[in-house]
Amino acid sequence: MRITSGMTADAAVYNLNQGQNALNTLQEQISSGSVVNQPSDDPLSTRQLLNLQQQINAGKQTTSNITKGTLALNVANTALGSMMDIMNQIKSAAATMISGANDAGTIANVTSNLSQLKSQLVDLGNTKNGNQYVFGGFKNGQPFDAAGNFTGTNDPLNVEITSGSQVSTNVAGGNLLRGGTPPAAVGSGATAGGSPVDILGSIDALITAITTKNSAGIQDGVKNMAAAGDQITGAQSDVAGRLSRLNNAQSMITNNQNTLESAYSDMQNVDLAKAGVELSQQTTAFNASLAATAKITQLSLLNYMT
Amino acid sequence: MAISTLMDIASSALNAQQVALNVTGENIANVNTAGYSRQQVVMATGPVTTSNGYTLGNGVAVQSVQRSYDAMLQQQLVSTNSSYQGNLTAQTALQQIQPSFNEVATNGLGTAVDNFFGAWQDLSTNPQGTAERQALLSSTQVMTDTFHQMNASLTSVASSADSSLTGISSEVTGNAKSLALVNAQIIDTQAAGGSTNELLDQRDLLLQNIAKDVGISSTVQSDGTATVTLAGGQQLVSGAKYATLYTNPSAAVPPTNNIMLTALGAPPPATAPGTDTNVSATVGGTGNSLGKLGGTLQIRDTIVPGYLSKLDEMASKLVATVNAQQSAGYGIDGPPATTGNNFFAPAGVTSATIALDPSLTAAKIAAAFPTATDPAPTSAGNNGNALKVAAIQQQNNAFSTGNDSFDGFYTSLVSAVGTDTQGAQNATTLGAAHLQQLGSLRDSNSAVSLNEELTNMTKYQLAFQGASKVINIATTMVDAILGMIQ
Repeated sequence: MRITSGMTADAAVYNLNQGQNALNTLQEQISSGSVVNQPSDDPLSTRQLLNLQQQINAGKQTTSNITKGTLALNVANTALGSMMDIMNQIKSAAATMISGANDAGTIANVTSNLSQLKSQLVDLGNTKNGNQYVFGGFKNGQPFDAAGNFTGTNDPLNVEITSGSQVSTNVAGGNLLRGGTPPAAVGSGATAGGSPVDILGSIDALITAITTKNSAGIQDGVKNMAAAGDQITGAQSDVAGRLSRLNNAQSMITNNQNTLESAYSDMQNVDLAKAGVELSQQTTAFNASLAATAKITQLSLLNYMT
Repeated sequence: MAISTLMDIASSALNAQQVALNVTGENIANVNTAGYSRQQVVMATGPVTTSNGYTLGNGVAVQSVQRSYDAMLQQQLVSTNSSYQGNLTAQTALQQIQPSFNEVATNGLGTAVDNFFGAWQDLSTNPQGTAERQALLSSTQVMTDTFHQMNASLTSVASSADSSLTGISSEVTGNAKSLALVNAQIIDTQAAGGSTNELLDQRDLLLQNIAKDVGISSTVQSDGTATVTLAGGQQLVSGAKYATLYTNPSAAVPPTNNIMLTALGAPPPATAPGTDTNVSATVGGTGNSLGKLGGTLQIRDTIVPGYLSKLDEMASKLVATVNAQQSAGYGIDGPPATTGNNFFAPAGVTSATIALDPSLTAAKIAAAFPTATDPAPTSAGNNGNALKVAAIQQQNNAFSTGNDSFDGFYTSLVSAVGTDTQGAQNATTLGAAHLQQLGSLRDSNSAVSLNEELTNMTKYQLAFQGASKVINIATTMVDAILGMIQ
C-alpha cells in the first residue's frame, strides 16, 4: 500500500480525535461523579435510574405523610389521655355518691364538679392539630357544642403510607364521646354498663340522678362510667395500634430507601479507582499517540536532500 | 547514421524529462489540494528506424500524462458521504434536544409531575390549608411552565432545521452550477484535444460536495461529463445543463419550506413555485437518510414531531384525568362549596397550551369528595378527593405505547430520546470510520506522496543531466570532425 503524507496526517487527526474523545468521556464521568450524564450515555440504565429515582421520591413523599399523620395521632393520643384522667375523676366522684344519702351541700358540690368535668371533656373533644379538629372528621368547625352535641362527622382522615395503603389519622368523635351518631341510648337497669356508651349523655343522666337522689340511677351511672372508661381506653389502644403501624411503615420505607439509594449509587456513581486507572491508561495512550504523530510527521526525504 | 540523430535522441530525452519534471512539480504543488489525483508521465521509446543494417531506437516520447484514479472508490465516497452527513445532521439536532430530556442530571418534567402529585398528597394531609393549596397551584405552574419550555425548545429545533433547508438547497444549486460548468469545459477541452485531468478531479470533488448535501446517483458519460440524478429520479445536472433546487413556503400554518426543483437549462428557467416539481417527499432518500438535506428533513418531519406528539399525549391525558377527578369533588369556596370546576383549562390539551383553568382559585381546588356521612356540599376537612387525585400518579392510563403510569410513560420517552441519540452517535462514528477508511484507500491510490515525488524528481533530474551530457559529447564529436577539415 502506498502511504502518502496526507494519509499520515488524516490518520493522525482521526486517532488523536478518538483519544481526545475517550479522555473527555472519562473526565466528564470523574468530574461529575456520575456514570450516566445524559440519556444517550446508556438509555437502558437511564430508564432504571429514573425508575429508582421516582421510587425514592415517592418514599420521601410518604415519609412526609407519615410524619404529619404521626403528629395528628399523637395529638389525639394526648387528648385521649387527658380524657381518661377526667373519667377517673368522674368515676371517683360518682362512687362517693353511691349511697345516695348525702346532704344538699355535698350534692351541689358534686354535681357542679361533674358538669365542670363534662365541659372539660367537651373541650378536649374540640382538640385541634393545626387547624384540624382531631375528633371532628371532615367538619372544619368545632365538632362539639357547649352542651356536648356532636356536629362533626365520623369519617376517617386518611393518609397514604405506601402506594394504595391508607391509615386514618383521626378519631371519630361522635363514636368516642356519644357512642355513635345519633348518640346511643343511655344505659339503665339491665342495659347499664353496655357498650357503646353515650359518655356525655350518661354524665348528664348521672348528674340528674344525683340531684334527684335516685340511687338506682346513680348505680347505673357508675356502671356507665366504668364502661365509658373502657370505651376511651379502647380508643387509646386503637390510636396506639395505628401509631405503631405508622412506625412500622416508616422503618420499612427507610429500609427501602436505603436499598433503592444504594442500587442507584451502584449504577450511577463512578468507581473512582477504576475510572482513575482508566484515565491514566488513556492519558498514556494519548501521550504515546501525540509523540508518535510528532515523530512521524517530521519524517521526509526533504530532510536528507541538499 | 548521422551525428545529428544523436542530437535528436538527446533532445527528445531533454523534452521528456522536462515534461516529467513539470508533472512532478505540479504534483508537489497540489499535495494539499482537495480531490487532486496524482499524475504520472508515461514514456515510450520513439519510432524505430533501420540504419546501417541495425534496428535502432529514436529517443523517447511522452505518451500520456495519466491520472491515478479508482472509479469505484469515488462512487463509494459519494454514497458514504451522503449517509454520513444525514446521520451527522440528525445527531447534532438530537444532541440539542437531549438536554431538555436530561432527567438524569437535572430536574425536568418528570420531577415537575412528581411534585405536582406530591402537592396533592400534601393537600390530603391538610385539606383546608391555604399554604398547601397555594403550594399546589405553584407546583402546577412549574409543571405547565416545564411543558411549555420543552415544547418551545423542540419547536425551535424544528424551525431552525426548517430555515436551514434554504441554505442547503442554494448550496446544492451552486455546486450543480459549478458541475455543469466543469462538464462544459471537459467537452470543450476534449474537442481541442487538451488534457482534462484537473477538470476530472474538480468534477469528482463537486460530486462529493453535492452528495454531502443531498442524496444523488451519478453517472459518468463516455465524454467524461457527469450526470446527476436526485433520490426521487429528477435530473439535477446533465452535460452543461443544471436545475435550480430551492425552497418555497408551504400553505401550512405556520408555513414550512417545500423543496422545489426547476427544469434543466443553461442557465435553468426562473423559479416558478406553481409549476416546478415539489421534491420534498423524495429528495432525502428512503426515510430521509441521505445528505444534510435528508437529515434536516428527518429532524423537521419525523424526530421532533414524534417527541412533541408524546409530550402532547401526556399533557392531554393529564388534563383529562385530573379535570375529571377535580370536577367530581368539592372546593372550600362555600358556603355553598362549588363542584364541577376544572383544574386545567379544558382547551389546553397540548404541551404548548396546557394551563391552569383561569377561573380556578385556591379555594376551588376540590380536595373533598362526598361520603354517606359527609354528603354534598362537603365539609372543609374532607380530603377524599385529594387522595383520589394523588392516586392518579400511580394508576395506569391508556397511552399510544400501551398502558402506563405518567411516570412510566415519561421515563420511556426519556429513554427513547437517549436511544435515538445513541443510535445516531453510533451511526455517525461508524460513518466517520468508514469515510476515514475509504479516504485512506483513495489517498493510497490517488494522493501525492512527497517522498515519491522527490525521488522521481531526482530520477528525472539525473536523466536530464545524462541527456545534456549526450549533447555535450555529440558537440565534441562534431567539433572533432570540423577540426579534421581545417
